[in-house]
Amino acid sequence: MKTSSLGTAPTAKRAPGRLAFGTCFGLAGALLGMVALFSLLSSHFLSYATFSTLANQIPDLMVLAVGMTFVLVIGGIDLSVGSVLALAGSVVSVAMLGWGWSVLPAALLGMGSAALVGSLTGSITVAWRIPSFIVSLGVLEMARGAAYQLTDSRTAYVGDALAWLSDPIAFGISPSFLIALAVIVLAQLVLVRTVFGRYLVAIGTNEEAVRLAGVDPRPYRILVFALMGLLAGLAALFQVSRLEAADPNAGSGLELQVIAAVVIGGTSLMGGRGSVVSTFFGVLIISVLAAGLAQIGASEPTKRIITGAVIVIAVIIDTYRSRRTGRWN
Amino acid sequence: MHLPSLGRIRALAVLAVLFTASVACAEDRPKVTLVMKSLANEFFLTMKDGAKAYQKEHPDDFELVSNGIKDESDTGAQIRIVEQMIVSRVDALVIAPADSKALVPVIKRAMDAGIIVINIDNRLDPGVLASKQLSVPFVGPDNRKGARLVGDYLASRLKAGDEVGIIEGVPTTTNAQQRTAGFQDAMEAAQMKVVSVQSGNWEINKGNAVASAMLNEYPNLKALLAGNDSMALGAVSAVRSAGRSGQVQVVGYDNIKAIAPMLADGRVLASADQYAARQAVFGIEAALKMLKGEKPEVDGDNVIQTPVDLVVGKQ
Repeated sequence: MKTSSLGTAPTAKRAPGRLAFGTCFGLAGALLGMVALFSLLSSHFLSYATFSTLANQIPDLMVLAVGMTFVLVIGGIDLSVGSVLALAGSVVSVAMLGWGWSVLPAALLGMGSAALVGSLTGSITVAWRIPSFIVSLGVLEMARGAAYQLTDSRTAYVGDALAWLSDPIAFGISPSFLIALAVIVLAQLVLVRTVFGRYLVAIGTNEEAVRLAGVDPRPYRILVFALMGLLAGLAALFQVSRLEAADPNAGSGLELQVIAAVVIGGTSLMGGRGSVVSTFFGVLIISVLAAGLAQIGASEPTKRIITGAVIVIAVIIDTYRSRRTGRWN
Repeated sequence: MHLPSLGRIRALAVLAVLFTASVACAEDRPKVTLVMKSLANEFFLTMKDGAKAYQKEHPDDFELVSNGIKDESDTGAQIRIVEQMIVSRVDALVIAPADSKALVPVIKRAMDAGIIVINIDNRLDPGVLASKQLSVPFVGPDNRKGARLVGDYLASRLKAGDEVGIIEGVPTTTNAQQRTAGFQDAMEAAQMKVVSVQSGNWEINKGNAVASAMLNEYPNLKALLAGNDSMALGAVSAVRSAGRSGQVQVVGYDNIKAIAPMLADGRVLASADQYAARQAVFGIEAALKMLKGEKPEVDGDNVIQTPVDLVVGKQ
C-alpha cells in the first residue's frame, strides 16, 4: 500500500490541477449548503445585494489569501500580513496627507514598501535558515510598530481619492473585486502552468531534491515572500479605498483569517500542495459565514464558536480528501 | 508571543528599583504614574499627550511616569506594570484598567503599600471593590448619558417606528455596554425600533462588515448608531456601497479627528466628545488633591463626573 507522501512525489507534476478539480467540487457544495441554510434563517440573505456587498468586501482577503497560498505551498508561513497591510495603508496616508503626494505615487510607494518588508522576511528566512514562522512573527511586531510610528497611532481620513477602486462600476461590482479575481486567475495559471509554479510545489515537497537537481531554491523563497508583501500592499489599497481612511490598527488578527481561508481551501500547512482556486472558495466560505451570521443577528460568542468549528471541520474533511487522493495516485 | 522568563522580569524589576531609587534621591516632588490601556489606541494616546502637556504646565507639582500596554486585552501585562510601579514606590497611581475585575487584587496591593489610586476610563467593578473593602474614586464621563445625548439628537431627525441598528464596541467592556444602553434609552424614549445590535469590536473594518450585513437584512433601516467613531467610519462606507447615502443616518462617539470631514458634510450626523485629552488630567488633579490630604469631590456613587458634550455636524 502506498502512503500519501510516497504517492504524491512521483505525480507532483500533475497534482495541483487535479487537486483543484476534486477539492472545488466539495468546497462548492459546502458553500451552497451554507448559502441555503442562511437563506432559510434570514429573510433577506438570498438577494443580489448581499452577494454584491460581499464581493466588494472581500478583495483584500482574496489577494492576501493568494499570497498566503504561495507561501504555504513552499512550506513557509507569513504571520505578518495584517501588520504589513496596516503599514502600507499608513505609508499611503502619510504620503498623501503629510507630503502632499498625489494618489498614484502614494499608492505605488505603499505597495513598494509592503513588498520590501515581504522580501526582508524572505531574505532573513533564507540567509540564516530560520523558520519563517518566527521571522514573520518578529516582522509582525516591527511593521505594526512602524505603522503606529508613521501615523502617530491615529486613524487618518484619506478621502475619496481612491474611492473609484471600490465604487461599483457594473452590476454592483467594484473594480477591486475584478482586480482580485484577475489576481486569482493569474496566480492559478502561474502555479499550475509555469515552470516557476512547478518549482514552488517542488520546493514545498522536497527542497533537498530541488537543490540536488541543480536549482537554487533560495531566490524562489525570497520572491514568494516579496510577492506576499506586494499583495498585502494591494489589499491595503483596497481597504483604504473602501473605508476612505487608513487605520494603524487595520488587519490585526487578519493573518489567522487568511490562513484559515487558505487551509479550508485544502492547501497543506506542510507545503507542496495547494490551489489558488480552492483558496478562493475558502475565502468565500469564511466570508459568507461571517456575513450570514451577522445578518441572522448571531451574538458575538456564537459567531466565534461557529467560525472556529467550521475551520476545524474543514481540516478534518481535508484529511479524508488527501487520503483518497493518495489512493487514486 | 513568548513571555519573558520570570528571571528576566525579576532582573528588570531590580533594575527598575535601582533606577527609580537613584532618581528618587534627587526628587521631592510626588511621583504620579499613569497606567493606560493600549497606547496603540488613538484615544489613550490623546489622553497620555494631554497628561504630558499638563505636567509641563505644572512642572513643580509632580513628576509623571506613563505606561501602557501593547494590546487592550492584555490584562496580564498591565498587572505586571502596576507591580513594577509598586516596587518603584510611586505616590499615586492613575489607572485605566484593562479589565474591571482582574486588576482589583493588584490595586489592593498598591493601596496596601500606601499608594493613592484613582480610576479613570473603564470603571473598576464596584462589587469586587466592595468585597475587598476598597474605595477607589472613579474620575470619568458618563458614557450612558453621552450616548443618550447622541441618540436623542438622532431621534429628532427620525419618525417614531423607524428601524435602527446599533453597532456595539467590544461587548465585554463597560464602555461598550453603557453606550449601547444609552442608545437604547434614547431609541426607546422616541419609540424607534432597534432591529439589531451587533459588535464591530471598535474597529473600522469590522464595523463596516456588520453595518453592511444590517443594511442588507433590513431594507427599511433608517439609522446606524455606532459605539465609536471608527465603527461609524466603517458604517458610512457601508451605507455608500449599499447605494443608500442620505437615506441612512450614521452617528458615532468620541469625536476623533478623522470624523470631522464626515460631520462637515452630513455623512455622520453627530458624535459625542468626552474630552479624551483631559481624562487623564482630571484623574491626576484628583490624585494631587488626595496627596495633599484633601477629600476628592465625589458624588454618592464615588464618582467624579467629567463633561460629555454632543457634537453635531451640518444642520
